[in-house]
Amino acid sequence: VTLSEGARAGIGRELGMLDSLLSLGGLVLLRDSVEWEGRSLLKALVKKSALCGEQVHILGCEVSEEEFREGFDSDINNRLVYHDFFRDPLNWSKTEEALPGGPLGALRAICKRTDPGPITIALDSLSWLLLHLPCTTLCQALHAVSHQDSCPGDSSPVGKVSVLGLLHEELHGPGPVGALTSLAQTEVTLGGTKGQASAHILCRRPRQRPTDQTQWFSILPDFSLDLQEGPSVESQPYSNPHIPPVDPTTHLTFNLHLSKKEREAKDSLILPFQFSSEKQQALLRPRPGQATSHIFYEPDVYDDLDQEDPDDDLDI
Amino acid sequence: MAAVATCGSGVGTTGSAVATASKSNVTSFQRRGPRASGTNDSGPRLVSIAGTRPSVRNGQLLVSTGLPALDQLLGGGLAIGTVLLIEEDKYNIYSPLLFKCFLAEGIVNGHTLLVASAKEDPANILQELPAPLLDDNSKKEFDEDVYNHKTPESNIKMKIAWRYQLLPKMEIGPVSSRFGHYYDASKRIPQELIEASNWHGFFLPEKISSVLKVEPCSLTPGYIKLLQFIQNIIYEERFDGSNPQKKQRNVLRIGIQNLGSPLWGDDICCAENGSNSHSLTKFLYVLRGLLRTSLSACIITMPTHLIQNKAIIARVTNLSDIVIGLESFIGSERETNPLYKDYHGLIHIRQIPRLNNLICDESDVKDLAFKLKRKLFTIEVDFIS
Repeated sequence: VTLSEGARAGIGRELGMLDSLLSLGGLVLLRDSVEWEGRSLLKALVKKSALCGEQVHILGCEVSEEEFREGFDSDINNRLVYHDFFRDPLNWSKTEEALPGGPLGALRAICKRTDPGPITIALDSLSWLLLHLPCTTLCQALHAVSHQDSCPGDSSPVGKVSVLGLLHEELHGPGPVGALTSLAQTEVTLGGTKGQASAHILCRRPRQRPTDQTQWFSILPDFSLDLQEGPSVESQPYSNPHIPPVDPTTHLTFNLHLSKKEREAKDSLILPFQFSSEKQQALLRPRPGQATSHIFYEPDVYDDLDQEDPDDDLDI
Repeated sequence: MAAVATCGSGVGTTGSAVATASKSNVTSFQRRGPRASGTNDSGPRLVSIAGTRPSVRNGQLLVSTGLPALDQLLGGGLAIGTVLLIEEDKYNIYSPLLFKCFLAEGIVNGHTLLVASAKEDPANILQELPAPLLDDNSKKEFDEDVYNHKTPESNIKMKIAWRYQLLPKMEIGPVSSRFGHYYDASKRIPQELIEASNWHGFFLPEKISSVLKVEPCSLTPGYIKLLQFIQNIIYEERFDGSNPQKKQRNVLRIGIQNLGSPLWGDDICCAENGSNSHSLTKFLYVLRGLLRTSLSACIITMPTHLIQNKAIIARVTNLSDIVIGLESFIGSERETNPLYKDYHGLIHIRQIPRLNNLICDESDVKDLAFKLKRKLFTIEVDFIS
């Protein structure tokens, strides 16, 4: 990560994670549902990266090109490189401009480019690709694409690749969704309440704890992103309300605490086995060459030092 | 009171007698050293490979897993010829650490490494291994760490048990024995150690360039290539004992990362009844056959939380020797539970092997939790549940 990218990510963290989604690179998964659609967020992110000057490639599979380009200004439309797989997905018309290898071939061709610079690839949509391709092939291709910048074998400095994938999570079972989320660096789940859309962003950096944040936003008609403060600010949806610690020493029938006087009395209590400190030190310090062993005896208060043999009293 | 007095004076005599006997050893028993096995046929053929030791229970040759606490739980270490399977935690944060400790232990002991991954380049994995704590400076830091963690009441001069004041505190610091080292998770292993070691890497995207057609009920191409690679290394470097004239034998440590994930071409994480759902189990069966006939030990991390068919998890558990599950508290409701606030997750030991035995070496404690402190990964008994 170069210094500029790190700084950009730092500034992005202040603005909100939604703004800095693209600066982290890798696979960004946009999970939407029927109630909260994600294509407008995808288009907003595409517009943002186009305005940043990055190369933007779109793999359009689900909607037509006209519908995707609708709402963008002409200069943004000129910057987008659109690969159309909607009109003729199986290449029946066999024209020259059809890309060989299908969508995956197009992905690999994008990555084999030689010019450096950051690049953003928008997949519209990943659900379509999951339904038409085996999941393992798709995962392998996505991993190869999004980790291209960390490949040491390349001699040319390839820029950072961000892949934005739109996933309709209601169409798939837990298996493919789980497989894709384990590959993704960032996962954005769309939701909301009462007409206000929210994005729950889970960011997995390698070897670090994942961070998550919920951001309320709305998309303006020209597809720019408007971040808002939502009705309830949640920063950690996983945390429970804090339970105050219960003191277990209340309501006991016996007293566990010591008053000051009691503590002083306890400290000054003479232990039944009392040594003076010099003898203690003498025993602790190992004495080399001490052949004989000594018996240290200090009389207790209860000891009877009478030298008479008590057995003399017996009548045997 | 009188009873205490007599007991005390009795201890006093033996204490001073012991003090005169020897200064450093607590006992006068001496350990018989291992017999030298330098010459070929004189004396018993006791294998003395660096970094291994025979188990005291069943005589198997053990290697350290890289975490001495884990070694203790497994009955001394990982037996050569067996597979250690680690079920990854949900966000894959702690299982790579165990994986890397295993590999770093191999480098420190001079074993040969074989690292296989479909996600990361093995050279990058080796660059990120933790640094071993070998010298006394690090022992001091470690003691400091342990000391700060203890409660302040232990600082008080002992009034009743004053004889134990000078005894060293818990003996869990880095020992200078040659079995099991401690690793500092915040530092990287020195580059010269990596360069001095002998390692082989298997990175799946490099070995498989095109998508091959997979027949049903057979191994996926990625697994076939990996098995062939392992077999070649074992044969070429004589880990299977095929060349008895070789003087110094060594152990091969195999590490396979993220086995079963879609990046290996296996669809058990994607679908419940995939077309090649037996691929992984066949792979494990063949792998165990390769391991049993060579001087090697293997660690595998597997994302079992993604596997859709629970029957496959049961089969995989039966086909491995030691299975350890990591469950981290991140993202679950236990994270904010005040009972678990000292720990980062739980360790479940799901299976321990019975090697040449009728019973297995179960430890008494089953509730184990782990935490990743600033530098060290520790496993402790969890007194909560």
